[in-house]
Amino acid sequence: MTNFNWLLDGSIVGLYLLITMVAGLMVRKYVGKVEHFLVAGREMDVYLGIASLAATEFGIVTCMYTAQNGYEKGFAGATPGILMAAAMLVVGLTGFVIKPLRDSGVMTIPELFEKKFGPRIRWAAGVVIVLGGLLNMGVFLRTGGQFLVLVAGLDVRYLEIMMTALLLGVAIYTILGGMLSVLVTDFLQFVVMSAGLILVTILILMNVGWENMVNTVDARYGAGGFNPFINPTMGWQYVVFNLMLNTAAVLTWQTIIARVLAAKDTNTGRKVYTRTSFFFVCRFLIPGIWGIAALASLGPVTNTLEAMPQYLSTAVPAGLMGILIAAMLAADMSTDSSYMLTWCSVIYNDILAPFRKRPWSERKGLFWNRTIIALIGIFLLLYGLWYPLKGDLWTYLGVTGTIYLASISMLLIACCYWNRANSWGAAASIFISAVIPITYLVMEQLPSTAATARTIGPYYSGIATYLLSGAAMVVGSLLKPQSGVGLRKETA
Amino acid sequence: MPRHWFWWTMTAACVVWYSTITVYVAIKGAADIKNMLARLSATKAREDAEESTNGV
Repeated sequence: MTNFNWLLDGSIVGLYLLITMVAGLMVRKYVGKVEHFLVAGREMDVYLGIASLAATEFGIVTCMYTAQNGYEKGFAGATPGILMAAAMLVVGLTGFVIKPLRDSGVMTIPELFEKKFGPRIRWAAGVVIVLGGLLNMGVFLRTGGQFLVLVAGLDVRYLEIMMTALLLGVAIYTILGGMLSVLVTDFLQFVVMSAGLILVTILILMNVGWENMVNTVDARYGAGGFNPFINPTMGWQYVVFNLMLNTAAVLTWQTIIARVLAAKDTNTGRKVYTRTSFFFVCRFLIPGIWGIAALASLGPVTNTLEAMPQYLSTAVPAGLMGILIAAMLAADMSTDSSYMLTWCSVIYNDILAPFRKRPWSERKGLFWNRTIIALIGIFLLLYGLWYPLKGDLWTYLGVTGTIYLASISMLLIACCYWNRANSWGAAASIFISAVIPITYLVMEQLPSTAATARTIGPYYSGIATYLLSGAAMVVGSLLKPQSGVGLRKETA
Repeated sequence: MPRHWFWWTMTAACVVWYSTITVYVAIKGAADIKNMLARLSATKAREDAEESTNGV
């Protein structure tokens, strides 16, 4: 039984969807060029950037895995958020990597690689980015549908219909308005999402109580529920892996970097980073609190991913339920639209680059960008329906994200700061960082190797990927000495 | 000081910071959108004018 009231809550959700769709469609008239479509004509300012980055990086999938972390690991489950906030603050303050990247005037990261490593590495990097990104995003729809079905008390048979409807709505305004629609809807979605998150958190803190939550975590996980280093399911390897993963994400995750590239100048991009950094603590801790509240209220459940939505379905009263669902729809739509646009930008700009011997007309470019987004939508629908998720969601996202985060972060750092780096090192780094996580994923799925995969674990596998990818860049580059000129010299 | 002061402080900071930044960004972000669309319109008008001049 759920508190969702179709008349009251349904009206709130319907009103939100109507306003978002209208706003998303209204700005399509400003899209005349591919640059408008992919990077909003580089006209984004600080506060719009903060809203857009925060809305993009918080989807239902985020809420689900961070709540699962809170349920399964207690307060210590919010550790990745603290690490990511620290990484983002340092990068924003120093301009490390993002300054030379934005100064170069490129539209995607692989485009920068071509200047240093050549067109083949640009193409390979594009493939790795899209592969890792789409595998990562593949579970978004099902997880989002799971949340909405559970909270609204719908029959689980409607999950696929929910997923399709969600994607269709998002795809329409993203296909028509590109980054401009994404930015404007992200802004609305940030406001709705934040209002819902704050109100529900205050309600939970008042109803469940701080002492009750602390006692529950203490009783269930002991000191490990508060300290990741002594938590038996985490340990130093979890912290180190997440430090590497989150630092690499801050430097290279295309949806985050897209805000730097769309910023009107480098300083604006850096300000977006520094001023959004603390949001990443909220991103993990707020749903984590919801997960802990579910643990305190429901006790042990068989599916820990579904504990939080099950708890919310009865704990949140009618009226606020509508705001919660609108908030979660907002979170999901902003994430899906940005992700689709981002992977589209890499496919168009980098993977299709060899097919554009002569520059395409703006009209043809826009047509292909829109077609690619539609194809990504179809892929997500099929993959989201068929892929059976094994293990916890955050680990899956970490492993699939590592496919590109490890190599692309090494390539980017080397591209910006190491004159000796060259295409051999880049190719070796890409190869290593794709092979290890994919092998791990395959081993996890095959019955004959599943036990070995469990013994190694995702954290050691992830740490090895980052270290070996960096080593491959150094060794490969040293094996092929070259007289290439560094990017800093080129852009000076 | 509550037990587990670190997590209590982080939780309180999240609620206070997030509430404040939401209101602030809601106001300033709306102005950013208005200015961004105005700049895009101006650029488009300038480019259209240049095109028609070149055409003549």
